[in-house]
Amino acid sequence: MRIVAWLLVAAGLVVTGIGVAAALGQAGSGAQPWGNELSDNFVFSKALPFVLGFGVAVGLVMASTYGAKTRSDGAVRRWSPGTVFGHWVLTLGFVLALPTGMWQYLGGILDVNLPIPLYLFYRVHYIGAGIVLFAVAAFVSYLWMTGDRSLLIRRGEWSRHLLGLAYELPRSVRGPYAKLLRIDLSRPRPPMGKFTFYEKVVELPSWSILLALITVTGLIKAGRYLIPVPGFVLWLASTLHVAAMVAIVIKLLDHLRYTFPRWSLMGAITTTWMKEQAPARRQGASEPSGSSATGIAGGGDT
Amino acid sequence: MRRLVALLGLVWSLANLGVAYFFLTGAFVAKTAAKEGILAQLSLLLGGVLIAGFAILLARECVRLLTSADASETA
Repeated sequence: MRIVAWLLVAAGLVVTGIGVAAALGQAGSGAQPWGNELSDNFVFSKALPFVLGFGVAVGLVMASTYGAKTRSDGAVRRWSPGTVFGHWVLTLGFVLALPTGMWQYLGGILDVNLPIPLYLFYRVHYIGAGIVLFAVAAFVSYLWMTGDRSLLIRRGEWSRHLLGLAYELPRSVRGPYAKLLRIDLSRPRPPMGKFTFYEKVVELPSWSILLALITVTGLIKAGRYLIPVPGFVLWLASTLHVAAMVAIVIKLLDHLRYTFPRWSLMGAITTTWMKEQAPARRQGASEPSGSSATGIAGGGDT
Repeated sequence: MRRLVALLGLVWSLANLGVAYFFLTGAFVAKTAAKEGILAQLSLLLGGVLIAGFAILLARECVRLLTSADASETA
């Protein structure tokens, strides 16, 4: 299976290379009456099917790295190498796409032009968006192949997770949160398991929704010169694309705010391994650390 | 490594505070009101406040990470 996956990746790489080269060749031939921005838009749009297909093939290889492992020193593998690879590819895509997308928006609001031509911002934004779409396709393929659902909350488990989340929130937020969702804080703190409640209740759903939103709206915006898009749909897609971008900026800050004090999470997303029983906040912090009855070895990696 | 990550986090926080500043000032500029309307102004205001709030929270964690890294080195 792994050999087939690698062969598909090799074939996908060649086909993607040819596809992108053909799109670049057409845009750069001088035969088309396109400006720089429109030319880049066409290259991006035409490269997308190849990029997505290549992402699906890479997802198959990522899936072949899936499986629970324990080291002799007791450390367990929290994330598969495939997940770690996909996470950092996604990070690279955001590093390129977010600041350039933000400048496109803010430049318009502030009515300011930098000495750097705007089409270069778009170009970097398209490259970043291409990397994000590649990573999204790879993750979808990976999750489909592995069938891993360990970060999803099963039916009937929501009340336990909302209660667990209450105990992971800072004390100042816990009370209002419990009151708003009518959570009984006199109930004992539930055991955490492999992932924190925050990861399952807040992180995965918010990232999934935001990624889906920015991907779909971005595809509509990018494809508008190839396929006729009604004006209202385009306006809605543009508005939601900007809203998703701002929400991702906020979510990224929250993601870093959450993971930095739990240094074991940073280690796990780099090395795949985790030594601690639970991703506890460092000592001396006001927020209580999570408890874990089952421990992170309770399931396979993700 | 912790110190490097904390410093990068601080730089990211500061950049986001800059973005928040432009959001907040953009919300109150007459040009935005004329071009984009009240909804865009409110969105900029809300976005700016949230970005600034989370940037400050991240900066606080980065400072804690820096000080804890220093403390563990001197210990």
